[in-house]
Amino acid sequence: MCLIKKISLLLMISILFSMFSGCFDRREIDELAYVMAVGLDKGKTNALRMTLQIAIPSAATGGGKENGGGEGGSESSYEITVETPTIYSGINIANTFVSRQLNLSHTKALIFSEELAREGVKPYINAITRNREFRPDMNVLVSKTSAEKFIRNVKPRLEANTARYYELTLAGFNYTGFIANTDFHKFYRQSVAIDQQPVAILAAVSSYEGSEDIKLEDSTYKDKGRDLPFEGDFKAGKIPNSGGLKAEVMGLAVFRGDKMVGELDGEEAGMYLMATGEYNYSSMTFLDPVTKNNFIVLNVKQSRMPQQRIKMEGDNPHIYTKLILEADIMSIQSGINYEKPENLSKLEEAAENSIKEGMLRYLNRTARELNSDICGFGAHLKKNFLTWQDWVKFDWPGRYKDCKFDVEVDLKIRRPGLMVRTSPPNS
Amino acid sequence: MRDIKKMLKELFLFNEPKKDDKFILKETEEEKNQIKKEEIEIKQEQQKKKRDRSVIKKLFDPNEEKYASSESKEQKTKQEDDHSQPKEYISKHLHENLDYMKKVFYVPENGDIVIREFAVTLKKDKVAEAFIILIDGMIDRTIINTNILQPLMLLSNIEIEQREDEVGEQVKKRLLPHNQLKVTTKFDEVIEEVNFGGVGLFVDGSEIAFVCDVKGWEHRGIERPNTEIIIRGPQEGFNEVLRCNTALVRKILKDEDLVAENASLGRRSKTPCSILYIKDIANDDLVKEVKRRIKSIKTDYVIDSGMLEQYLEDHTFLPAPQIIATERPDRVAAALTEGKVAVIMHGSPFALIMPATNYDLMHSAEDAFLRFPYTNFLRTIRIVAIFMSLLLPGLYVAITNYHHEMIPTDLLLAIEAAREKVPFPSVVEILIMEFSFELIREAGIRIPGPIGPTLGIIGALILGQAAVAANIVSPILIIIVAVTGIGSFAIPNYSLAIAFRILRFVYIFLGAISGFLGITTGLFIQGLWLTSAKSFGVPFLAPFAPRTKGGFADELTRAPIWKQETRPDYLNTKDLKKQPKISREWTQAEEKTKKQNEENKNADNSKE
Repeated sequence: MCLIKKISLLLMISILFSMFSGCFDRREIDELAYVMAVGLDKGKTNALRMTLQIAIPSAATGGGKENGGGEGGSESSYEITVETPTIYSGINIANTFVSRQLNLSHTKALIFSEELAREGVKPYINAITRNREFRPDMNVLVSKTSAEKFIRNVKPRLEANTARYYELTLAGFNYTGFIANTDFHKFYRQSVAIDQQPVAILAAVSSYEGSEDIKLEDSTYKDKGRDLPFEGDFKAGKIPNSGGLKAEVMGLAVFRGDKMVGELDGEEAGMYLMATGEYNYSSMTFLDPVTKNNFIVLNVKQSRMPQQRIKMEGDNPHIYTKLILEADIMSIQSGINYEKPENLSKLEEAAENSIKEGMLRYLNRTARELNSDICGFGAHLKKNFLTWQDWVKFDWPGRYKDCKFDVEVDLKIRRPGLMVRTSPPNS
Repeated sequence: MRDIKKMLKELFLFNEPKKDDKFILKETEEEKNQIKKEEIEIKQEQQKKKRDRSVIKKLFDPNEEKYASSESKEQKTKQEDDHSQPKEYISKHLHENLDYMKKVFYVPENGDIVIREFAVTLKKDKVAEAFIILIDGMIDRTIINTNILQPLMLLSNIEIEQREDEVGEQVKKRLLPHNQLKVTTKFDEVIEEVNFGGVGLFVDGSEIAFVCDVKGWEHRGIERPNTEIIIRGPQEGFNEVLRCNTALVRKILKDEDLVAENASLGRRSKTPCSILYIKDIANDDLVKEVKRRIKSIKTDYVIDSGMLEQYLEDHTFLPAPQIIATERPDRVAAALTEGKVAVIMHGSPFALIMPATNYDLMHSAEDAFLRFPYTNFLRTIRIVAIFMSLLLPGLYVAITNYHHEMIPTDLLLAIEAAREKVPFPSVVEILIMEFSFELIREAGIRIPGPIGPTLGIIGALILGQAAVAANIVSPILIIIVAVTGIGSFAIPNYSLAIAFRILRFVYIFLGAISGFLGITTGLFIQGLWLTSAKSFGVPFLAPFAPRTKGGFADELTRAPIWKQETRPDYLNTKDLKKQPKISREWTQAEEKTKKQNEENKNADNSKE
């Protein structure tokens, strides 16, 4: 009797399972189409023009059995574009002509066009936040060319799988320092916060067809008072390169609230990372402090989080930042023996000054020109207020433009690389 | 005309089939009567129950007593029937005994019963008739010839000065130079011994019979254990002979406190078995409980300890076994030193160790013999293997059906591409593969030796290649099934491995119904089930649920051997400590020990 009771109980439980939770949302993997990237432009006939990049699994995993490797022509993804009033109605439309149900749970990138970003992205990010299919760790990009054009130009050469392209390219800031981690969760939080403003990765399609087309227009080197552009003095779309992928990312799009207000170039993106403590390592170019026309390359690491203090001087906030960096010598073109202890401090000082200059330029630009506290200094100031209402009344975003900045850089050169001493060439 | 009509009739109409003269096993009258009786009993019980329900009715029910009295009457008559047949005590007259023994052993229908009649010289002119009875093949012939027949028939003629008056005494004291001699007055004991390889001796004029233990049947020698193969450690396994097995244990545990109590199982089979425990370690209540359970078993035949295990275990429906069956004397010895009780049964090479906890089932016999880092590594692998063999297919189904966002995009696309041409849902796919794997495993045991490798080839081809080439299953699934299968082989306990093989299907089902929710619920229910179970009064998940001391010393992981100072807490042994805190005295500095010695000496001197 007891056994029958137990069995019937188990049966009841299992029936309840299927009745209540059931398998209503059961989808086989091969019943779904996975969207790798979503691009949003201003529509011609409707509010939005949405581009979806959909993975082709058989191609993404090395083609069918017969071909083996990914032959030319078998692309790992394809793009569709729909004109639609909202994101979800667009997905509905797309579902009518894509044979499998679209699934956004593996979307790696959300790309806004610059036009749309400058108008404000609030309506779209709200909709995306609400849906659990979107991953909070997908990156937010702003494309200087149309998002559709950018996505259609993402045809990775190295990766068989487009998703992997996004994952690797957008994690490149770890060793370039030219973009930043702009995951959606962070972007959304900052877009509604008072103490920090969001940024998005700046993306574009390269404007150069071949090596002969490369020009220096739109490079920011002249504004910085340099004779030649350094590696960071470019923005996406104008990177002097050819032969690579047409789609490229460099620099950041600066937002105030949900509206884009300006752009940062690669070097400034590096400064952004240093100021927020997310800088990992990358090589930086400096002018030789002695000869003034040779380059020195250091591999700079951020060894500790930046120390930041903020004080109110009357009505103007005064922000003090100390960067603690380490560096390895990569190249000394002049052949001067900087590895000697007495020379080393000269080199350190030069690098410190150069970084300090760049940092001050960057901070002043965010305050005066862009008027957007993307580094999150507000968070340091917030603790001085007793109540939230006081803090809101203080109007930090409005006051950021009056900030004064003080920067101190502490850079220590640790290792000279494999070459212990520079021997000047006999001449 | 008529012929045609007849032929048509035969062709198209129903004809009674010719009666075959084949053998039909008919129900006997007795069986019919018994069934009727049982039916009546069941009815009565039901009526009784009905009556039980209403107390007031019961008070006024006149039938109550009638039923009771009729039952007892029936029983009485039954008992009388049973006892009218067998004789209890041995008669003084030899021919009566002979007739009775012939009747009991169905001579001459029984071909292997040997009755040898002869004469024993008791005094100069006094000769007594005698006979021995034995079962051919179960005895040692030379012992009977030289130690029993020879002295009785030949040496009794030798002149000896002292002669006993009584026939039985004379035989016992002077004529039978056999070491294991039992004197009895009851037929039952003689019959029992003869059944178990003894020889019964009846002498005319004596009311006692002699039973000599001359067991000498053919049996397997001591071989390597087949199921619990280890690399490091003793390589002896039990065989089917009880005394041989107990001796194997005693050989390892040279301890006079080791007790091997006798018991017999089965009303008809009367299988002897030994209950082994160490008197001053094992908890008395535990020993008592084991003995109580074994003695209370009422059945006709118990053939293997596998049957005994089923009679003894606490929970019939619990997926995990609650008694460890082992082929290894060293494992039994180790368990006895911990304070457990072992039962060895005649005819079974598997000894039972009880109580068993969940963690004992994950141990291999080798664990104690390996250095402790190796053991911990192997145990970790085993635990992972257990979880894999239980959950992996279920998790695969859950992830591919519900939780696509959980896996890396590359893997997702790889699974999708692999499943592209597969026509079935992933549940069906995995069930097909699991079923065919179980099929190969089951067939592999039964397949005759020489054909064995063929099965391997067919299995590998079907599972590994053809199924994928035919697009019936995806290659990723093959990996899942293979890993699961290998995982289940890594479980050291055979019964537990089977349990998890069954539960695996439950988890596939749960994963398919409601993804991780289902699997979590399954784990929860299984957890409750195991936590509530007990094996001989010990909670099944001890020492972790409930928490007792020393869970990490030897249950889940293993501490270095010098740190294992206590016996398992949950066994409540009489002697708690296995070894003192400092078991390796050489680690103490020499001076210290010297000092201690001197102090001891001084103390002794001062006492004097």
